[in-house]
Amino acid sequence: MMSIEMNPQLMSLIILTVVLPLLTAFLLPVFGRVSSLVARYTGPLVLLFCLYITIVIWTEMTKPFMFAIGGFAPPLGIVFYVDQLSLLFTALVLLLTLLLWPYQKKSSIREYSLTLLLAGSACGLALSGDLFNIYVFYELASVASFGLVASAASGAAYAAAIRYVIISGFGSVLALTGIALVYTQTGTLNLAQLAQLAPEQLNNSIGIAAFVLILLGIGVKAELFPVNTWVPEVYATAKKRVSALLAGLISKLAVLVLIRLLVLVFHTEQALQIMLLLGVLGVATAELAAWRSKDMSRMLAYSSIGQLGIVFIAFSIPGEAGLYAGIAVSLHHLLVKPALFLLAERWGSSLQGLRGAAKASPVAAILFVLFALSLIGVPPSPGFWAKLLVVMGLISQDMAMYTVALTVILVTTVIEANYLFKVVITLYAKSEAGAEAENKPDVNRIHAKLDLLTSSLFGAVLIAAIFLIVPLGQYVKQTASQASDVKTYISTVFPRVRIPDSVNTERSR
Amino acid sequence: MMLPDPGTTLYAGAFGLIVIGIVGLVISKNLYRILLALVIAEAGANMLLVLAGFRFDAIAPIITGAFATAQSVPMVDPVPQAMVLTAIVIGVGIQALALSLIMQVYRTYGTLDMREISRKLDRDMAGSAGVSPSSSEEEPAPQSLSPLPDALLNKTGKEGADA
Repeated sequence: MMSIEMNPQLMSLIILTVVLPLLTAFLLPVFGRVSSLVARYTGPLVLLFCLYITIVIWTEMTKPFMFAIGGFAPPLGIVFYVDQLSLLFTALVLLLTLLLWPYQKKSSIREYSLTLLLAGSACGLALSGDLFNIYVFYELASVASFGLVASAASGAAYAAAIRYVIISGFGSVLALTGIALVYTQTGTLNLAQLAQLAPEQLNNSIGIAAFVLILLGIGVKAELFPVNTWVPEVYATAKKRVSALLAGLISKLAVLVLIRLLVLVFHTEQALQIMLLLGVLGVATAELAAWRSKDMSRMLAYSSIGQLGIVFIAFSIPGEAGLYAGIAVSLHHLLVKPALFLLAERWGSSLQGLRGAAKASPVAAILFVLFALSLIGVPPSPGFWAKLLVVMGLISQDMAMYTVALTVILVTTVIEANYLFKVVITLYAKSEAGAEAENKPDVNRIHAKLDLLTSSLFGAVLIAAIFLIVPLGQYVKQTASQASDVKTYISTVFPRVRIPDSVNTERSR
Repeated sequence: MMLPDPGTTLYAGAFGLIVIGIVGLVISKNLYRILLALVIAEAGANMLLVLAGFRFDAIAPIITGAFATAQSVPMVDPVPQAMVLTAIVIGVGIQALALSLIMQVYRTYGTLDMREISRKLDRDMAGSAGVSPSSSEEEPAPQSLSPLPDALLNKTGKEGADA
């Protein structure tokens, strides 16, 4: 179709974004012993190289392409499906891990290894086109995040980590059961083949059961409503860089997997309704909990659940508009939440204790205000446009449930504004002389240069996004429309197959 | 015959294991039992995956012997079996990790009771943030097994500690 042929050898380099971080993760504990220099700099260099590969492929890519691992053609072999969406997320994984890399002097080789493991498996999640392969990468990412959470090495971190392991393990049992159900119905786990078979073989009660099981299973990482009890505990006890990675990145990759499943396999109305319901419940409960919370770490954790609830609500809007809105909200949250967690590194304690903290570190306070405004969705900020897309999408639907969702989003925005502004007011309040004594020493309040620098970088991107909102919006829209194109997905993975008419080009209403 | 066919029995068994595991997960209070319940549920899910490709009238999917001589013999779908092997390995890895974490929790908190642990966790999170914990107002105060200094214990925790 397209005139320009892509260089297949160059395209096959995409596999390196998964292989190199994984390989380095396992070799680093051995070679890291040779010299501390090797241990410290190998990881970032590998990530940088992978990022370079991704960007080169990005500029060369004219249409989505497929990479069959080991040369085994699908459906027998495992495939990577590369389109704008998966490349975007691969690049974001690599970029964010680079930014949130444990650069501190006291970090151990194990932390480097685990972070690399997380990056490699996250890239795999973004690229994989096979349900079981997704499950394996998902488990790898889980193991890496358990280790990173426990690396804070306090009693609370261990307790939070074990509770996270148990909820996550419960989720993987559910997901595995769902995958088994899909296999009994269709006899394949290749997403492109599932997309062909789904309209006939998964459009029944077993298909819905499988969707709910997989949704709950993958939803553990995506902070979906009933399986998100680990979120506040883990984000409050883990190192803030780890919290930032989990909240910003890993949750979005779980969301990406769910997008793929929703578009390709489970595009039924019931599936959308279930997501909508869980999303609404998530937003409502999380924002109320955030409003009640008294310390910044847990407030940010609950607000993260709330934002992901909005993402789920957005994806439950049928058609391309829903995907567009959902991806926009995800990308916005991916930018804002890690930065806020970096600020919470020093401000993680009680909100009352933050009185007058703006005086000690004015830059951090300004950044906090900027991110808070965008999170609430105050007009010129990117957060406003993302939320507007969701609201417009919900208005265009006439079912009662969507109106309920709209109301919930608008009401929770007010709540969100309330608690975030409360923090801002506390930051700029005059500190009382008496309160000073019982607070921790002021040295603690000043941010580490590294955290502040990374955070300002996120802030700069946010401000740049205000001015570039039109091209960015177009890009996201194009990405969403490509991601919702089931026919291209199938014809890319199976070039010779004639696509039956029963496969919808768009998601069904 | 009264016996149901083996396929149904096995499917019932697989779902039964998953249900037993999930019930155990919900009602157990001991961290180790919770892990065991998880293992049982995982066994059920794995069994379901094996059953997804299993046929009673077929042979093992190995290209030797019967398969090489008689091409028409049906064979069991090998894909789910390969996947179950992967799933079992992942499961064992996560169980080992969970056990080591349980040991660490026992070392620091001195208990495996989930209620106790979540109370202490809540107290620790609140303590490090310098706010009063959210849940302990109605509950009796925790035993003072805590390795933390008294200063970190909050006011609501102290009321019952003397009794």
